[in-house]
Amino acid sequence: MLGLNRINLTVRRGEFVAIMGHSGSGKSTLMNILGCLDRPTLGHYYLDGTDVAELSPNELSAIRNRKIGFVFQSFNLIARTTALKNVELPMTYARIPAAKRTKRAKELLECVGLGGRLTHMPNEMSGGQRQRVAIARALANEPPLILADEPTGNLDTAASIEIMEIFAELHEAGATVVVVTHEDNIAAYTDRIIRFSDGRVISDEKNPEPTKRSGKQHISDLYGSLYRREEAANAD
Amino acid sequence: MLIENMRMAFQAILANRMRSFLTMLGIIIGIGSVITIVSIGDSMRLIIDDVYDSYGVMQAYIEIDEDKVTDVRESDYYTIDELEQIRSVFADEIDYMDSDAKAKSTVTVGRTRKGITYTGVDYNYPDAVPVKLLSGRFLNEEDILGRRKNAVLDENAAKMLFGTEKAVGRKFRSTVNGYTDEYTVVGIYEKETNILIVFFDDIKDDECYAYIPWTILTGPGDRFLSCHMYAKEGIDVSDFVKRATAYIARMKKRDPEDFYVFSAVDEMAQVDGFMVAFSVAMGGIAAISLVVGGIGIMNIMMVSVTERTREIGIRKALGARTWDILLQFLTESAILSAFGGAIGVLLATGLLNLGGNLLEQEVVIRPIVVVMAVAFAAAIGAFFGMYPALKAAREDPIVALRYE
Repeated sequence: MLGLNRINLTVRRGEFVAIMGHSGSGKSTLMNILGCLDRPTLGHYYLDGTDVAELSPNELSAIRNRKIGFVFQSFNLIARTTALKNVELPMTYARIPAAKRTKRAKELLECVGLGGRLTHMPNEMSGGQRQRVAIARALANEPPLILADEPTGNLDTAASIEIMEIFAELHEAGATVVVVTHEDNIAAYTDRIIRFSDGRVISDEKNPEPTKRSGKQHISDLYGSLYRREEAANAD
Repeated sequence: MLIENMRMAFQAILANRMRSFLTMLGIIIGIGSVITIVSIGDSMRLIIDDVYDSYGVMQAYIEIDEDKVTDVRESDYYTIDELEQIRSVFADEIDYMDSDAKAKSTVTVGRTRKGITYTGVDYNYPDAVPVKLLSGRFLNEEDILGRRKNAVLDENAAKMLFGTEKAVGRKFRSTVNGYTDEYTVVGIYEKETNILIVFFDDIKDDECYAYIPWTILTGPGDRFLSCHMYAKEGIDVSDFVKRATAYIARMKKRDPEDFYVFSAVDEMAQVDGFMVAFSVAMGGIAAISLVVGGIGIMNIMMVSVTERTREIGIRKALGARTWDILLQFLTESAILSAFGGAIGVLLATGLLNLGGNLLEQEVVIRPIVVVMAVAFAAAIGAFFGMYPALKAAREDPIVALRYE
């Protein structure tokens, strides 16, 4: 049984963090806990001020729904379901009215450059496109934390760059982004790199020179304004 | 959310059309047979009601029971005077009386010779039992009192004997109680039948039917075994028959137990009770097939839940609560079987109407039965879908997400 051992880790709002480590290093367990899919057997995990260890499975669902946007290695889109419906899903579970969530899902897909693929099924899209649908879905409920588990693991280099540039842009817009990866060139996009081995943190360093994104605008002002709105609300 | 669940359910059902159809088959057959059987029962009751209507629901007769009484005496027979005596005693209750006489004979017109069944009735018979007179008149009081050889012939007989239904005034020869006479047709009526009347009364297409004065059929000796009555509208027939039997028993110096008593109302209630019991029993057996269909639904939902473990994991990761997943799968199984139920209803209705057309018989399909059947099918789906749905809802998102 793999586990984590005496980890003390703080990720601040707005950080762009890479978690690195070989398979078996405990990074999956960390991802499950960070993603509120699992609770720590011992210790505490405070997400946005809430101690997750105390919550019931249904409360965890609500937390995942509102506060975390997942991006998986294998995309994990719902099969035989259009891109639009996939993006709507977290909003459906948040009980957002149909008209409002459809409108927002369209905007999100346009943001990630898939405005022309709204009714495509996952199996009708390339890996890069699928991952962009997954990102749009992750952003649906405007979660403060974006959690990406090997987001480029199934993608070619071009698509990988595209995805990482979207994450970088999200970070610039104010989102907290945590990316799990074992590829150095992926981790290079982030500001902070945490290395794992045998359930322990072996290094936690600032990335002095994050890879600069091309400057190409993937996400419209809509998304940036979203986080600015939230910050403004917090400042009040 | 409900709409979303239904949309997802249809999508899942359509994704595996063949499998969905085969799963539904159990429900289709179950609902189809329940509706068919209930409808056959209802139609039978309608037919039976028709039979009683055609003979009169208020009908009753009282006669010595030859199975109980080994020594049938001369006094056990009724005379016309005795019948009149009974009529005068129960004048407020009796609408109509005769001797319940039927006679089979042959009839000759020129070179045409046919079998004929006579029913001996009084002139006011149409007051008790509807007779659809097409032309001419019914028997009148003079016919009865004068024992005139007048007859009201059925339409089919008129065509067979005279080649036309316009046979009023025509004559035929026939032998009744050993006397050969010439009879005059005074009226033509249309015989009402349904499959049950045809069956029980042994009605044949090439047989002639006619009403003649009952006084012709009381001979020889003007005595007869049956006191045949119709009670007036609104009379409690069971009670009336009891009192009439007691009266007749005193008159005949017999025990009331020695009489065979028939009343249509009592028998109808009995037959109706039997039909209802039959419908319920058969419907119950058919409902077993519905349970089998439900198990089929459960089986396929189990498969579906296993196949979609990963999907469940994704949904949970995205914030689906236990209740959301439960409802999603329950909706799917309920729709699956409600659809099966609806197809079953269509199939059953089609078959029943086809059968009804072939037998030229009206088919009763009560809307309430259809609505209940479809609702029951959906309930079966929800019930048998409960276990698979619970299994899905309880999936651990971490395990489910890793499921290949």
